[in-house]
Amino acid sequence: MSPDDWPARFEAELLRLGQHPARARALADETAQQAVESGTGPDRLFGPAHLYARHLVSELNDVPPGPAGGGPPAPGRVLLRLRDVGKRYRRRVVLSGVDLTVRAGEVAAVVGANGCGKSTLLRICAGLTRPSSGAVERTHRVGLVPQDGGTADWLTAAEHFTLFGAAAGMAPRRARSAGEHLAARLAWRPAAGQPAQELSGGTRQKLNLVLGELGSPDLLLLDEPYQGFDEGTYLDFWRQVAAWRDAGRAVVVVTHLLHDLRDVDQVLDLGSRPGGRVAAVAR
Amino acid sequence: MVPSRPWLHGFLDLCLLAMLGERSDYGYGLSQRLAASGVADVPGGTLYPALLRLEQQGLVEPRWASSESGPRRKYYDLTAAGRAALADQGADWRRFRDGIDALVSASVGASVEGERR
Repeated sequence: MSPDDWPARFEAELLRLGQHPARARALADETAQQAVESGTGPDRLFGPAHLYARHLVSELNDVPPGPAGGGPPAPGRVLLRLRDVGKRYRRRVVLSGVDLTVRAGEVAAVVGANGCGKSTLLRICAGLTRPSSGAVERTHRVGLVPQDGGTADWLTAAEHFTLFGAAAGMAPRRARSAGEHLAARLAWRPAAGQPAQELSGGTRQKLNLVLGELGSPDLLLLDEPYQGFDEGTYLDFWRQVAAWRDAGRAVVVVTHLLHDLRDVDQVLDLGSRPGGRVAAVAR
Repeated sequence: MVPSRPWLHGFLDLCLLAMLGERSDYGYGLSQRLAASGVADVPGGTLYPALLRLEQQGLVEPRWASSESGPRRKYYDLTAAGRAALADQGADWRRFRDGIDALVSASVGASVEGERR
C-alpha cells in the first residue's frame, strides 16, 4: 500500500460516511500530521484507511452532548426498503406482505421458526432472489454473509481476501491488509498457506464475516453468522455489529437467539409457519 | 503488568486529562508519557480519537505550535470544563481504587488465614 494516497482514501471514506467536507479535510490533514509526529506512516499507525475512518466516526458519534454541542444523531437515510414483498415457489407461499425499512445507523433482526423464510428474505434483500410480488429498494454497496458456504475449500484466507477484494475494486495488497485487520477484530490471525477446508467451523464463519465486510458495504446482511463461535467470539461479533451501526451502516441480521434482540432497533417476526402473519415490532 | 485494553478504555480519558493538567502536550508526547508511566502502550488508533473526543466535548483546547525539529504540532491545554472533569473523574477513580484495594486486601488476608489452618 502506498502511504501517499492513504490520506486521500481516508478523506474519501469520511465523506462517504456523511462527514462535512471541511470537517473531512481537517480530519485527514490532522491524521497525516499525527503520523508524521509519531515518525511512521499512517497505514502503520492506524491500519487501513477506510477502517480507521469508520472507527473514528463511531468514536466521535459516541460523544455525549457537551459544551461544544452534539445531541442524538438524526435518523439516517433509508438503505433498504421492502414494500409488501411476497415469495412463492409454484403454489407454496414462503413469504407474504413483508414490509421493512432500515436506515443508516440501524440494526434490524429477522426472527421466526425454521422454514418460515428468513434466509429467502435475506436473499431478496441482497438481490439474489427475485420476489414474486412487492418492491425492493436498496443501496448499492451491500455485503452478504451467508449461513454457510460462500467460501472455497482449496483457497487460503489471503486468497479469499484478494478474490473478494477484487470484486469490490480493491488492489490485492489493500484487500489482504484490510482482511487481516478485520480478522484481528474477531481474534483470528489467518495462518499463511492454510486452505479454508482445514479451518474449524467457527473460523470459517469468521472468514465469511470478514469477506462480507471487506468492501466496506453500507448495508450488511447476516444470516446467523455466528454458528460455531465460542462465547468470546460471539460477544466480539455483537460488539462489531454495534460498531457498524455507530459508524452509520445498516445491519439486517437473521437470528433465532432471543439474547440477540436486546441491542437491535427493530424486530421483524416472520411467524411460526411458512407464509404466516408478519409483524414488525419497534424496540 | 500492562492492563488489558477494556480496563484502559474507561480510564484513558482520565489519564489524558491528568497529564494535560500537569502540562500541555501533543499526541505523541502523551503516548510516550503513558508508556513511561507503565500504564499502557496506547496505539495511535486509540489515542488520537480519544483526544479528538475530548476536544469535541470542550474539555481540551488545541493550539498549533512549531517545533525546533520538523513539522508543527498540535498541543492541547485543559479548559475550565476540562479541569472540572479532571476533579470529578479523579474523585471517582480514587473511590474505585480504594474499593478494589479493600476487596483485594480482604481476599489476600483470607487466603493467608486459610493456609495457616
